[in-house]
Amino acid sequence: MKPADTAGPPEVVCTDLGKVFSVGGKTVEAVQPFDLSIAAGQTTALVGPSGCGKSTLLRLVAGLDLPSSGTVRIGGDTPRAVSQRAGLAIAFQDAALLPWLTVRQNVALALKLARRPVEPDRVTALIDLVGLGPFADTRPAELSGGMRQRAAIARCLITEPGLLLLDEPFGAVDELTRARLNQDLPALWQKRGTTTLLVTHSITEAVTLSDRVIVLSPRPARVIADFAIDPDANDADFRAMVAAVTNALVLGGESVRTP
Amino acid sequence: MLLALGLWQALALLTSGTFILAGPVAVGGHILGNAPLLVRAALTTLQSAAIGFVIGNGLAIALAVIAISLPRLERLVSGLALVLFCLPFVATGPILRVIHGVGDGPQIALAALATYYTSYLCLMVGLRAAPASWLDLVRSYGRGRFTELVRVRAMAAMPYFIAGLQIGAPAAFLGAMIGEFTGAERGLGVLSIRAMRALDVDMSWAIATLAAVIATLAFWFFGWLGRRLDAAPPPLLIAPRQDATSPSAGAGLLAALVQLVAITALVLALWIGLMEAFGLSPFFAKRPQDVFAFLVLAPDAAANRSVLLDAFWQTLSLTVPGYFFGLVLGAGLAVVMVLRPAMAATALPVAIALRSIPIVTTAPLIVLALGRGAVGTITIVAVMIFFPTLAACLEGMRRTPRPVLDIFDSYAAPPWQRLVHAQLPAMAPAFFAAARMAVPASLLAATTAEWLATGTGMGSLMALTASTSNYALLWSAIVLLAVTASIAYGLVQLLERRILKTFASEQLAL
Repeated sequence: MKPADTAGPPEVVCTDLGKVFSVGGKTVEAVQPFDLSIAAGQTTALVGPSGCGKSTLLRLVAGLDLPSSGTVRIGGDTPRAVSQRAGLAIAFQDAALLPWLTVRQNVALALKLARRPVEPDRVTALIDLVGLGPFADTRPAELSGGMRQRAAIARCLITEPGLLLLDEPFGAVDELTRARLNQDLPALWQKRGTTTLLVTHSITEAVTLSDRVIVLSPRPARVIADFAIDPDANDADFRAMVAAVTNALVLGGESVRTP
Repeated sequence: MLLALGLWQALALLTSGTFILAGPVAVGGHILGNAPLLVRAALTTLQSAAIGFVIGNGLAIALAVIAISLPRLERLVSGLALVLFCLPFVATGPILRVIHGVGDGPQIALAALATYYTSYLCLMVGLRAAPASWLDLVRSYGRGRFTELVRVRAMAAMPYFIAGLQIGAPAAFLGAMIGEFTGAERGLGVLSIRAMRALDVDMSWAIATLAAVIATLAFWFFGWLGRRLDAAPPPLLIAPRQDATSPSAGAGLLAALVQLVAITALVLALWIGLMEAFGLSPFFAKRPQDVFAFLVLAPDAAANRSVLLDAFWQTLSLTVPGYFFGLVLGAGLAVVMVLRPAMAATALPVAIALRSIPIVTTAPLIVLALGRGAVGTITIVAVMIFFPTLAACLEGMRRTPRPVLDIFDSYAAPPWQRLVHAQLPAMAPAFFAAARMAVPASLLAATTAEWLATGTGMGSLMALTASTSNYALLWSAIVLLAVTASIAYGLVQLLERRILKTFASEQLAL
C-alpha cells in the first residue's frame, strides 16, 4: 500500500464517461459520454445549471456511482483503488458529519476509515487551522452551518488526499460566511498542490478559486466551454472572466468564444 | 415467497404424524373445504376489530388533542394512556365479559385498547412535527390555537397518524381475537379455541393463516392509503418529547415524583369513579380499597400475596428471557441483513408483513410444537417481539443519511465500519422505540400462552380466578401486571433517553 502523498497529486482522466439512470422504467441520460482530463495539482471548477449532472460527474470520479460507459482513471488507477488507500476525499453541501461524534471525533474517524493511526496532535492542529479550535469537543448540532463545513473540510484534509472532490461545499451557508470560507480554506489544500475538482453554481466562486472553469450544459451534461483562469489577472480581467462564464452558461453552449 | 411455501410444506411432511404442523397444501385444502364457516367467523371478528379500531383511534385523537391543547396536562395524559395500555388483556377480557355478558363488547373493547396507544404516540409526535414557521404564519393572521390545530398541526400529523393506523390495524384484529377467546359465540377466536381443544391441527393452522392474511392485508391497506394521500412515512415511532426545558436533576426528580403521585391518583379516581358511575356490582368490580384489603388488611393477606407473587415470578421468569431473546434476535438479524444488502432488500417487505401477523393467535401452535414447558412460552414471547424489532431496526438503519454512507464509501470502508460508526447509532432510536413497545407485548404474549396452553403463571391464575369468581385476586393480578409493565416501560424509556442523548440528540428533539 503506497501512501497517497508520496506520488504527488494525481491527474484525473475521464474517457468516454457517461451515465444513464433508469427511473421508473424510463432511462434518463445524466451525463453524455465525454472525455475530460484534469491536470495534476490544479483546481478545476465545474459550473452548470441545477440538475445538469455535475454532481453525478463528481460521484463517478469518486467511485460512488459506476459509469454506464467509459472509465475514470486517477493517476492511472481506478477510483476504487484510490479510495482504498484513502487517496481521495469528498465533501458535500450537507456536511455529513456524524451527529453523535464531536468535531474532533469526526475528523479522527476519517483516519480510522483510512486505516491509519490516529495522531491526536495532528487532528488538533488541523482543527485549529480551519478555525474550530475552541469547538473541537462540540457536537455538530451546536455548530453553525459554516462551522460544520469547516469541520467537513478538516475531515477531508486530515488524510492528506491527492484528490479533493468538493460538491457545493459552501452551498448551504450564507453569502458572507461563504466569502470567508472561500478566503480561508482553499489555501490549505492549494499550498499542498492537491488536485481539486469543485462543483459549484456560484460563478464568482468558480473563477476565484480555480485554475480552470468548465461550463456544462443542461442535462445531459456535456462540456460547452472551458476557461483557463489567469492567476495574475487584475480586477478588470476578473470581471471579464466572470462575464464570459456567465455568458457561456446563459447561451447554453451556442456560439461560445473562449477569451 | 414460493421458497417459503416450499419450506413450510417440506417441514410439514417431515413432521407428519406428530400433530404439530400442517403444510400449505393441507391448510389451503382446509380453508377451501370450510370456506363458509371460516369466512363467516372472519367477518365477525373483522367487524369487532373495525369497530374497536375506530373507537380506539377516536380515544387516541381525544387524548392527543387534550395533551397538545393543555401542555400542562401532557405528562398526566401520557401516563394515563400508558397505564391503560399496560392493562393485561388476559384479565380485562374476562372482566369485560362478566360486565357485558355475551355479545361483541369485550372484543370491541380489547380491539380499541390494542389500537389506541400506538396511534396516540404517533399523534403526539406528528402534532409537534409542524415547523415553527407554519405556526407563526397562522399567528401572524391573528388566529388562535384552534386554527393552528386544525389547519397546521392536524395536516402535519397526517403521515404519522397513518403510520400509527398501519401498526394499529393488525393489533385491533389481535385484540378482537383475544376478546373472543374469553367466550364469544362466533368469530375466529372461538374457532381457534375449539380447534386447539380438539387437537385439530389443520384447522388451527388454517385459522392462523387466515388471521395472518387479514392482518397483513390491513397493514398493506393503510400503507396504500398513506401513499394515496401522499403521506410519506414519518421517520420513526419516537418517544414523544416532553418539556423543551430540562430542569435540574433534583427538581426533575421532585417533578417526576409529583407526576407519579398525580397519575396514580388519577388512575385510582377513574377506577372508582367509573365503577360507581356504571353502578357495577362490588362482587366482580373490585375497588382499589378491596384490592388493598385483599393484599394487606385481610387475615389471609400473606397467603393471598404468596399465591399472587408465586405466579408472578413464574411469569416473569419466562417473560424476561423471551423479551431479551426477541430483542437480540430481531436486532441481530437486522444487522446481518444490513451486512448482506441483497438480503435486506428482500427481507424488509417480508419482515414488515410478518410484523403484522397477530402472533398470539399462533401461540397454541407454538405450544403444540414446543410443548408446555418453559421453552414454548419463552419462544412465544420472543417471536411476538422479534418481528416488530426486526422491522424497526431495518427501517432505522435504512435511514442512515446517504451522504454519511457516501463518506464511508469514499474511503472504501468495510461494511463493519459503516455498521459500527454509522448504522448502529442510526438504528438506536428505532431499536429503543421497539424495546419500549415490546414491554406490554411481551407480558401479553406470556400471559396469553399461560392462559391458553401451559396452565402456569399469571395467565393461568387470572383465567382460573375469573372462572372461580375470586375477583379480588383477579384485580390484584391486574394491578400487579399493569404496575410492572408501566415501571418496565418507564425504565426502558429512561435508558432510551440516556443513550439517545449521546447518540441521537437531534432525533430526540424532533
